[in-house]
Amino acid sequence: MIKIKDLEKIYRTEEVETIALNKLSMEVKEGEFVAVMGPSGCGKSTLLNILGLLDDPDKGSFIFNGIEVAHFNERKRADMRKHNIGFVFQSFNLIDELTVFENVELPLIYTGIKTAERKEKVEKVLDKMQIMHRRNHYPQQLSGGQQQRVAVARAVVNNPKLILADEPTGNLDSSNGSEVMELLTDLNEQGTTIIMVTHSEHDARFSHRIIRMLDGQTVTENILI
Amino acid sequence: MIKSFFRLALRNLWKNKGFSSINILGLAIGMASAIIILLWIQHEVVYDQMFEKKDRIYEAWNKASFDGKLMCWNTTPKVLARTLEKDMPEVEQCVRVNWPSHFLFSIGEKRLTVSGRIVDSNFLQVFSFPLIKGNPLSVLNDRHSIVLTEKLAVKLFGSSGDAMGKIIKLDNKDNFTVTGILTDIPNNNRFSDLEYLLPWSYARIRGEDDNNWGNNSTRTYVLLKPNASFTILNTKLKTLKPKYDPSEPKWEMFIYPAARWHLYSSFENGFENGGRITIVKLFGIIAAFILLIACINFMNLSTARSEKRAKEVGIRKVVGAQRSSLISQFIAESVFIALIAGICAIIIVQLSLPAFNELTEKKLFIAYGSPYFWLTGIVFVVFTGFLAGSYPAFFLSAFEPIKVLKGTFKKANARINPRKILVVLQFTFAIILIICTIIIKQQIDYAKDRESGYDKNNLVYHFLIGDIEKNYQLIKQELLATGTAVSVTKTSAPLTESWSDGWGQDWEGKDPNDKTDFNRYNEDGGLGVTAGLKFIAGRDIDLQQYPTDSLAIILNESALKVMKFKQPIGQIIKDNNKQWHVIGVIKDFILTSPYEPTKPMLIYGPKSWFNTIQIKLNNKNSTEKNLSTAETIFKKYNPEYPFEYKFTDLEYAAKFEDEKRIGILASLFAGLTILISCLGLFGLSIYMAEARIKEIGVRKVLGASVTSISMLLSIDFLKLVSIAFLIASPIAWYAMHQWLQDYPYRVGIHWWVFLLAGAVSVSISLITVSFQSVKAAVANPVKNLRSE
Repeated sequence: MIKIKDLEKIYRTEEVETIALNKLSMEVKEGEFVAVMGPSGCGKSTLLNILGLLDDPDKGSFIFNGIEVAHFNERKRADMRKHNIGFVFQSFNLIDELTVFENVELPLIYTGIKTAERKEKVEKVLDKMQIMHRRNHYPQQLSGGQQQRVAVARAVVNNPKLILADEPTGNLDSSNGSEVMELLTDLNEQGTTIIMVTHSEHDARFSHRIIRMLDGQTVTENILI
Repeated sequence: MIKSFFRLALRNLWKNKGFSSINILGLAIGMASAIIILLWIQHEVVYDQMFEKKDRIYEAWNKASFDGKLMCWNTTPKVLARTLEKDMPEVEQCVRVNWPSHFLFSIGEKRLTVSGRIVDSNFLQVFSFPLIKGNPLSVLNDRHSIVLTEKLAVKLFGSSGDAMGKIIKLDNKDNFTVTGILTDIPNNNRFSDLEYLLPWSYARIRGEDDNNWGNNSTRTYVLLKPNASFTILNTKLKTLKPKYDPSEPKWEMFIYPAARWHLYSSFENGFENGGRITIVKLFGIIAAFILLIACINFMNLSTARSEKRAKEVGIRKVVGAQRSSLISQFIAESVFIALIAGICAIIIVQLSLPAFNELTEKKLFIAYGSPYFWLTGIVFVVFTGFLAGSYPAFFLSAFEPIKVLKGTFKKANARINPRKILVVLQFTFAIILIICTIIIKQQIDYAKDRESGYDKNNLVYHFLIGDIEKNYQLIKQELLATGTAVSVTKTSAPLTESWSDGWGQDWEGKDPNDKTDFNRYNEDGGLGVTAGLKFIAGRDIDLQQYPTDSLAIILNESALKVMKFKQPIGQIIKDNNKQWHVIGVIKDFILTSPYEPTKPMLIYGPKSWFNTIQIKLNNKNSTEKNLSTAETIFKKYNPEYPFEYKFTDLEYAAKFEDEKRIGILASLFAGLTILISCLGLFGLSIYMAEARIKEIGVRKVLGASVTSISMLLSIDFLKLVSIAFLIASPIAWYAMHQWLQDYPYRVGIHWWVFLLAGAVSVSISLITVSFQSVKAAVANPVKNLRSE
């Protein structure tokens, strides 16, 4: 599903040049659950941003579902993103002014789905995430775990092929964290490819494969399943 | 999606009530100001445009050279109308309209002095004012017919229906039959003051008609035939007057189209120059600027708080929103806010209109029933929303999701950023208006303080209507005998107006090419005492002591300069086939405009005509007592007419009304601009204090005083206002310099005015931001740092 080869990303300021990704290559098959680990500054967030088409590499190739997307413009990236990728963030990143229902509905609005169909899809996914009873609440009225469930609901409502999770349990206690990891595992079992950045060895064990990074390159790969 | 945008906009407004209120209030004030000005502009633009045949209606004007300057004016000989109809095939018909006349209307016991016009009987065929009753083709044919406006008909008879066929006595002499009722003429029309129409034949009966080509005393309107060329007619009119009056070989005439009467009819040296259109354009620019400043406020406040929307932008982009969709969202939000502000603006306008109408002496109103109003309103709101929301929409939609969501997003705080430029722009405009307001006020005071040259105190006048002239001596004797007045004089006009002027006088040593125009004034004696005139040579007219004073004449200083007499007393001046001997010279006094130099003036003795009685009231009695006694006396000798006096000092004060009005409007606009700018500054200062909360906490911990922190927060804003002052000053200087050129008698522009304006703006902005600065400076640093 994902093939990246010799990916380079360099951040330049007036005085300093930082190589975030240094000729990184990797592949992710469809249906895989991959965990990316490494110390702070190793480039894992940069990798996730590029995989999520939120940023573009300076050099290298990125093939997503058979399409070379490395140097897509913003318009094409947004288009690709909304149809194929869902995001789960450490700090949930829900919009405070929208209700739970409206937050989850957001990706469907941008894919042009009609109101009735949107309602049906949102309710279905809220039900699945067991958060339907909070549909009219605002994020600040929910617990951390509930907010992350809403975020996961938003990430999957469009049936994306790929979910990118950036430390999804980082702001949660162990109980809620486990709940979220189980949700992700369920989704993966249903066929969704998941790439997760994490510091937690515990969470990494839910994946099929752990890729460890250092200084912008992959250093080891552990296959768990 | 639009519905969700508005829903989100409403929630954002509610969540940030303080900022939302500042935003909406600023925008509402800006929109309300623009709406009022636009109403005024609309009123000006449609003035005199209501005539059905307006594309074919023209007014006749004269153009002739005096003192080397080409002058244009629109009073014409009474004989012109019929001459044009006879000689010019382009002309369909002409109509003469006399000066406003004031007659006493008597119906039974009811007495009313009413203002109207004597006109040719085809007036309503040319101007097509609708008649409620009567036939426009015949309604003024009879010499004793009268047409009333509906308002006057109701005043006189209770209803317009009851008025038709009724008899009205005019000036206690002549009976007229009501033959028509006119719909009230709207106030955006030059004839709006008329309440009745009388046929021209009545002027003839009164001896007010003549065939004199040299007597320019009436307005002549020309209706051209369809497709006739006014350019060709104007070419022919260049030689019309010389044909009938060979003594004026270079005297031209021309016709001027109705479309240009109100806004463009100002001429300099024979050509259109300026006119009311200048003020209309100026007000239009002011409206645009005030609205712009309100929109700038909106932009500033929206972008200043961009951090609060950054996360939302990031998330939307992550889930797939294109930049265009975000731009649409933010513009939809600002249109929504503009809609709320628009509703508030209409309320503000409705509440302010009565005061504005009083100030401008207009009757502006919002035509809620007109679909045009609603359409314009929607366009106005949408336009404002787009304008105000454009910059924030592009600014906010440009945020990169990875930066905002990771929390590494930091607003740029560049040395020069658009927000600072916007603040500078706002205050530049405000400071320009402050400087203009001060200078306009100075100009008014300068002219007001100018020595008028006579004593206006306790001086009243009354027109010689009814039997006043017949019983003048009796009235005068009784006013003096009762101690009501200390002096009484008949004059040709009020002391505040010039009703007659001309050239053509002859005197010894006169240059044959001299065409100096003299103001002409008449008195029957004692004007020096009555009006407190200052004689620098000779004496006043005194017919009792000097019977030859019937042909005496008095010069003012300016006339003496023109005539260059070394010994003025005894000199002979020939005018209107009479020989006047000079008996005195007075110091110049202001007869017309206090903004212009005094014109040469000749005061003629009793062998001339009179229109007013001047009464110097006795200051040993109260004014109330004097007027009460005077009324009794007038009623005794002129019983059919009401006692309608005017105070000369009030009439003089009215000369400043225009400039005073401009001054008030300028200060109003300056105040509004400052208010809107300060609202924005207030909002920005709240935001700045919030954004630097951590820095303030750290500084306090390290020992900074409240004063130093307050200054730290305020200094940025003060720098911007100072830059605005430096930009505004030369612009204001230039604008005022140009405006003052219109006044031969004018104030100078002093440096301290600019300093004062700068000090005012800096003080106001300091007060505005200091509240937040001090509040932030005294806050507990521990609390701030803990939450950070």
